[in-house]
Amino acid sequence: MNPKIVFTGLGAVCGAGLKVDAIWDGIVNGRSAIKAISSWDAGRWPVRVAAEVTGVDNRTLVEDRKLHKMISRTDLFGLYAAHCAIEQSGLLAHRESLAPDAVVRFNDRSGVFAGSGGGNFVCNYDFFPAMAASGGDLKKFGETFSDSVNPMWLLRNLPNNVLCHVGIRHHFKGANACITNHCVGGVLAVAEAASALRAGEADRAVAVGHDATIEAETLFHYQRLGLLSPETIRSFDRDRDGTVFGEGAAAVMLETAADAQARNATILGEFLGSGCASEATGVLRVRPDGDGPARAIKLALADAGISPAQVGLIVAHANGTPASDASETQAIRRVFGDNPPPITGFKWAYGHLIAVSGIMDLVFALMALRHKIVPGIPTLKTLDPALAPLPVSAAPQTPRSDIALVICRGFGGMNVALLVRVPSS
Amino acid sequence: MNHRKKIAITGIGMVTPVGNDARTTWASLQAGRSGIATIRYFDASGFPVRIGAEVKGFDAAAVIGNPKLLKNATRSHRFALAAAEEALTDAGIRPTATDGHRWGFCVGAGMMGVDFRELEIVQKACAPDGEFNPDGLLFPDFPADPIAFCRSQTNAGLALLTRHFGIQGYATAVHTACASGGQALGTALKVLRRGQADYVLAGGFDSMLNPTGLSAFCLLGALSTDNDAPERASRPFDATRNGFVLGEGAAFLVLENWDAARARGAKIYAELAGDGNSLSCYRITDSPPDGDGPIQAMRQALADAGLTPESVDYVNAHGTSTLMNDRSKCAALRAVMGAHLGNASVSSTKSCMGHLIAAAGAVEAAVCALAIRDGIAPVNAHYAQPDPECDVNLVLGKSRPLRIRAALSNSLGFGGSNSCLVFRNPEDVQ
Repeated sequence: MNPKIVFTGLGAVCGAGLKVDAIWDGIVNGRSAIKAISSWDAGRWPVRVAAEVTGVDNRTLVEDRKLHKMISRTDLFGLYAAHCAIEQSGLLAHRESLAPDAVVRFNDRSGVFAGSGGGNFVCNYDFFPAMAASGGDLKKFGETFSDSVNPMWLLRNLPNNVLCHVGIRHHFKGANACITNHCVGGVLAVAEAASALRAGEADRAVAVGHDATIEAETLFHYQRLGLLSPETIRSFDRDRDGTVFGEGAAAVMLETAADAQARNATILGEFLGSGCASEATGVLRVRPDGDGPARAIKLALADAGISPAQVGLIVAHANGTPASDASETQAIRRVFGDNPPPITGFKWAYGHLIAVSGIMDLVFALMALRHKIVPGIPTLKTLDPALAPLPVSAAPQTPRSDIALVICRGFGGMNVALLVRVPSS
Repeated sequence: MNHRKKIAITGIGMVTPVGNDARTTWASLQAGRSGIATIRYFDASGFPVRIGAEVKGFDAAAVIGNPKLLKNATRSHRFALAAAEEALTDAGIRPTATDGHRWGFCVGAGMMGVDFRELEIVQKACAPDGEFNPDGLLFPDFPADPIAFCRSQTNAGLALLTRHFGIQGYATAVHTACASGGQALGTALKVLRRGQADYVLAGGFDSMLNPTGLSAFCLLGALSTDNDAPERASRPFDATRNGFVLGEGAAFLVLENWDAARARGAKIYAELAGDGNSLSCYRITDSPPDGDGPIQAMRQALADAGLTPESVDYVNAHGTSTLMNDRSKCAALRAVMGAHLGNASVSSTKSCMGHLIAAAGAVEAAVCALAIRDGIAPVNAHYAQPDPECDVNLVLGKSRPLRIRAALSNSLGFGGSNSCLVFRNPEDVQ
């Protein structure tokens, strides 16, 4: 019998806000953070919208200014969200109440699991001045690069920076992983953290996903591949024409229920199960029949020991590309038949956060359960007849139970499903 | 009493600086042959460091065949394809259309990879004078290459390999710098124990031996500058060691449930018996001098395997040949092994192969499995001058015949991620 795993802290930062409550308020009130790109002059670009984090001082995200020089933008987001989740859990105050040897054990039994975007094109541009000066002469490049490239270049760009700096800051020294698996990195971090707790490898762990994809070269290639909409994300709509980038981070604090209850922590939700399946289709292609997501969902149901009928709402990946939404619908139908629970997606509100997308959706699936509301998708005007009937709506719906399914998909034919519950107090 | 599911290593494949397959690599390591030389893959003559541990004479077209596959593969992906193919062939089992969903894939992969030539294309279009102007991408003559873009994505190697081999189960890529390969194998062990897969192809691949990768490590001052004596440049635990040597390559292992492996009559190299995993929480580049962090990882791994330090006969040390790392490593071993420290033979095979970064942990896991099978502790090569702070029982001079009951492999990454794996002699497994 697996020990019960619960969530005791949540953290989020994205274009829609810096606090979970504020982002939720935007979602239920139909506010989208997708707007004109401001980080470079994208006026001549075929796609010039994204859900950027704007108007936020880096010191609001990470107070330690010395650290700003050592990390990159994605890391600022990740450290901030992880800190919010840890802080909300009350675990830091709890640790202060412990005897010194109990603190040592507490730290050794506290894990960190990160889902990292893994890198940006822009980090390589630091080499451009040296490349321009050497004009294709590698010997000259080798003699001169150190004049213009920051000595800390490698460290600033390590994909596992958030993992390490969360550890350093909070002395969480236990089980850890840094997952670089495109969109499913963040949700896999949650699944791995929960598995580590179940197996007794740690007593608590923070799981965090972070990414900062909004950069010219990435946007350029996604657009050329036909993956981006020039306007917004219209999940499941007849006129959906692609996804829109967002950026940010989300985090959850996981603990064994026994530990959380013993210290009277506020329990924000329960982890029930996860499933992971690959379609083995290469980087871009997805199977039209929804085979991968269907298997991921079935594995998660089996892991949780529940039936499809017990699921109260679905937060779909719903990235707004024609192929993904259609195959995801197929997958839902394969598992839930003609009677799926209410379905929604949140990407219209905060964009597609890539490595963060699934873990951000998890945070707001928990909020949806808590508030007993399945928010509508305001950009959904006409349901794609090829997908009908499907319980998605521009208007809010009511969950069928206290259990939510979160579906996340990524490059490489990756699919992960999570099941969570918020006990009806 | 360890009640956990037992996991067998039944296949090994390697592409390394000392051999383009597992057999050649293992023979080179036993003989203490160095794979370190002047860099030939690109013109490194202007760099402060001009030596590296390159994979040599690797003919991707001959090994892999499929030109379409090659087009989608970076240099390190090619090493991975060859090593994974070798591992599956060696194991005598591979995913089929009916059981592909019961195969998992866990890999330690390098940082986002942009080929230098592709970077030059963007530089010429967008930054002719050094400063990036995004509008350069929009010029009609910009040679946009969607395949190069796909190759550069962080899980591109994972996507390529799962597709090529038809692996449809749990698939993940991890990156904890130099600990990546070890952590990938640890994840694979857990995936099998949890019953999320019946077989896992697990390993690592990396190549930072390119102008930007080499620059990055030069800037940190982490590399040996023994440009005139490359063969001895990597000398872990030697008092005169002065940095690591950048290597490249890949290793994959086939892991499966012990009873199933036995039932199908598979040869079993070793049991992958335990995994330990910790964060040092010290500094991003430095290892804690007292070994705090690696100590916990080693203790967890031994406890996970249900073993005590007394049964550890061989330790494949992280041993990068940097001053602090080797010292920290020895401090950790001293703490964990206690009175048994002198009984365990210790070597770092980085002395021959250099440091394979994200692939290092996977290659060294394969070495531990082979060391157990053949009863040989490979030599810690190129060692001449003792460092009193590294007072462990090093395998010096030549490889040491040794029946190994349990072997331990450590991987310590930048940022303080520590991975420890424990391997057990199959003869000792009940």
